[in-house]
Amino acid sequence: MALDLLTGTREPTGAPRATGARARRVASGALRLASLLVAVAVGSFALVSASPVDPVQAYVGAEARSLSPEQLAQIEARWGLDEPPLTRFLAWAGNVVSGDLGRSQIYGEPVATVIADRFAASLSLMALAWLFSGVLGFGLGVLAGATRGRVVDRVLTWWAYTLASAPTFWVGLLLLYVFAVSLQWAPVCCAAPIGTLPGEASLLERLHHLILPAATLSVVGISPTLLHTRQATIEVMASDHVAFARAQGERRAGLVLHRVLRNAAGPALMLQFASVGELFGGSVLAEQVFTYPGLGEATTQAALRQDIPLLLGIAMFTAVLVFVGNALGDLAHRWADPRLREAVG
Amino acid sequence: MLRRPARPRRVARTLAALAVAVTLAAGCGGTVDERSDGGGSVPTELTLAVGGEPDDGFDPTLGWGRYGSPLFQSTLLKRAADLSLTHDLATDYRVSADGLTWTVDIRTDAVFSDGQPVTAEDVAYTFNTAAQQGGLTDVTALERATAVDQDTVEMRLVEPRSTFVNRLVSLGIVPEHAHSADYAQHPVGSGPFELVSWEKGQQMVVQRNDDYYGELPSFERLVFLFTDEDATLAAARAGQVDVASVPSAMATGSIAGMRLEAVPSIDNRGIAFPTVPDEGRTTEAGLPIGNDVTADLAIREAVSRAIDRQQLVDGVLEGFGSPATGPVDGTPWHEPAAAVDDADPDAAIALLEEAGWVDTDGDGVREKDGVRAEFTLLYPASDTLRQGLALSVVDMAKPVGISIRAEGVSWEEIDRRLHVDAVVFGWGSHDPTEMYNLYHSAQAGIELWNPGFYADATVDAHLDAALAARDEETANREWRAAQLDEHGGGFTGDHPWAWLVNLDHTYFVDECLDLGELQTEPHGHGWPITAGIQSWRWTC
Repeated sequence: MALDLLTGTREPTGAPRATGARARRVASGALRLASLLVAVAVGSFALVSASPVDPVQAYVGAEARSLSPEQLAQIEARWGLDEPPLTRFLAWAGNVVSGDLGRSQIYGEPVATVIADRFAASLSLMALAWLFSGVLGFGLGVLAGATRGRVVDRVLTWWAYTLASAPTFWVGLLLLYVFAVSLQWAPVCCAAPIGTLPGEASLLERLHHLILPAATLSVVGISPTLLHTRQATIEVMASDHVAFARAQGERRAGLVLHRVLRNAAGPALMLQFASVGELFGGSVLAEQVFTYPGLGEATTQAALRQDIPLLLGIAMFTAVLVFVGNALGDLAHRWADPRLREAVG
Repeated sequence: MLRRPARPRRVARTLAALAVAVTLAAGCGGTVDERSDGGGSVPTELTLAVGGEPDDGFDPTLGWGRYGSPLFQSTLLKRAADLSLTHDLATDYRVSADGLTWTVDIRTDAVFSDGQPVTAEDVAYTFNTAAQQGGLTDVTALERATAVDQDTVEMRLVEPRSTFVNRLVSLGIVPEHAHSADYAQHPVGSGPFELVSWEKGQQMVVQRNDDYYGELPSFERLVFLFTDEDATLAAARAGQVDVASVPSAMATGSIAGMRLEAVPSIDNRGIAFPTVPDEGRTTEAGLPIGNDVTADLAIREAVSRAIDRQQLVDGVLEGFGSPATGPVDGTPWHEPAAAVDDADPDAAIALLEEAGWVDTDGDGVREKDGVRAEFTLLYPASDTLRQGLALSVVDMAKPVGISIRAEGVSWEEIDRRLHVDAVVFGWGSHDPTEMYNLYHSAQAGIELWNPGFYADATVDAHLDAALAARDEETANREWRAAQLDEHGGGFTGDHPWAWLVNLDHTYFVDECLDLGELQTEPHGHGWPITAGIQSWRWTC
């Protein structure tokens, strides 16, 4: 068809070739993931070992003043810190291979339990924030791109730059004071109403407690998605096939919906999936402001206080998540833009 | 070609619907459980945001309950509001003539929340376990605890140690039969409350233990919120908490329905001076020792007398504090006569002149034998309070001809330079062992104790005598003598430390809640307020 010729889109190649390619892709992906994990583990451990922070001092904190050197030596022995670093790393790696991530020093619980508990809380927060920022960022980006140079575009662009430069922590506090303290529309803290026991809170209550932290966290992701989508939209709007459609008499709304959306979605999807890592960073602050107990807080504690087993556990878990995020981003991009299927396959 | 965009449109529509649903949900879920304040009915539940969440759970043998109330467990002894000792699980205790054996009688009517009685075996088990565990409570003085009979425990110490009594005060007794690996998450004890649920990093719900042998608390349920400073203040402003611990810098506004309670504490701040000259000596770890300027008593005393402590309280602490007269203000072992006459620059100048510190070149800084009266005062850069104190001290010392350079550095750097430069430290404990550590010559250069290498035979003798004392009264007398004895000895006159201020810990408390008589709190703001939680009453 005419449009296919203009945009260079062709049908995907034959099935057998695609299957072979897919198997190869999966195998190389698994290999990359494994080497990534080893690199992350070795790198994190090396960095932590080189850090000047003394884990025992960090654990005892202000308590150091009242503990005798004998007591501090006891703590060191309980954590096995009296062994040389290489011995500790090898012992840890051996356990990990057999499926045991070790015990968190500061929480006194298995690392897997800590991560599972915390991630369960973080998941809904991050998922909602991710959805917010994706939908809003993309929608507004298309709107800005389609109305390029007009007031709507200028306001949106200005807003995006403001958000990009506003610290998450500050935005969180602002939202907290406006909506929770002054207007009292939203709760001031926690994942459930104050005083409720686990499992008592209804789904609505949970959502209600989720909304401010999620809004805060989504702020991190909106601007990049918005600005990139705007750029992509502008490019598509200037392309020949849009000119062709316009010449055929299609109006702005139809043009955007039928000719632009899918083309502009590529970069937005890529960005959105690649931003999983940034969500982690942002969730630390959002969780702190709203006392929302997630993985972010555990990560800060593990890093600040040199809880090596927990820190390594979280580092590897995050690496897997980011890797999966990027892989999904690739797939989604390919789905949105058939040209890429050809190029990679 | 028109078929293609159909799918994205459907996705977009679904997402839009979802967003609307979420927004609606937020709109109607908007009722937060609000107690009817002043509505006449007495609440059975309190919500507290006073921090204090332990990372590793509620196991006293690992350090839970060092401050304030262990809540779920009970201790052998307790400190009353005036910090004097009273009985709790123990009915009596005796120390042997050699000071090595402590015999404790325990009450027989106490039961754990699982119904089992509290026995001497449990007490012995608790102390022996705590002594061997690498936790945050230091029971290394204990050699062995044994149960003599059902209600008597004998504890043998490594050496005589009067301060061991503080372990009897702070160590909550755990049941031997239920002290399993997950005890810290599911504590069982004989305290006034039982744990209902603990959502880490968020909140903890506890309920009254109706089998408690002591005075029953008047509230059935307590909710502890583990919010950070900003969220705590927000929760207080939104009327959702009854007690909120806030840093004094944030305690300046007022909150409707709440009063501001400023609780005195021995959470103090003071300056440690190197007291020995720089003779090229180093510590075992290779750190340099000594400062030629602060090694001169006249300099240290002049600084201490030139400082206007009341002005520090008003200016830096916004009034939430008191001038410090020593390291242990407000405790039974404090010697009030040891206070320094301060805010007296003239006296400071006279001292310096007499000692030969004269400003010969007219630059405003005195010299002696070619050495300028000049030294560095370190403070942790992250601590704005200590920064404020350090800078104020610089201004107060300048008129008397002493030039101090205040320098904000990391703790790691302080650890390296604390024997050659003056440092602003913070201390304050219900355990006088701290005073021993700060002033005894044997503790010089160990941890952060006695960083200035102060050594005085009389002071050492008093401190040793206090530690070896067999009863509280003798011990307190010796602790006081270490500060200032009847012959004018004691560390006060040597000024190895210039104590500056004691902080007040600030709390917003519901106007209807009476907290009873409050203890002078130790270093650590927040949880210590729970020490008298059983006597809290609702007054509206």
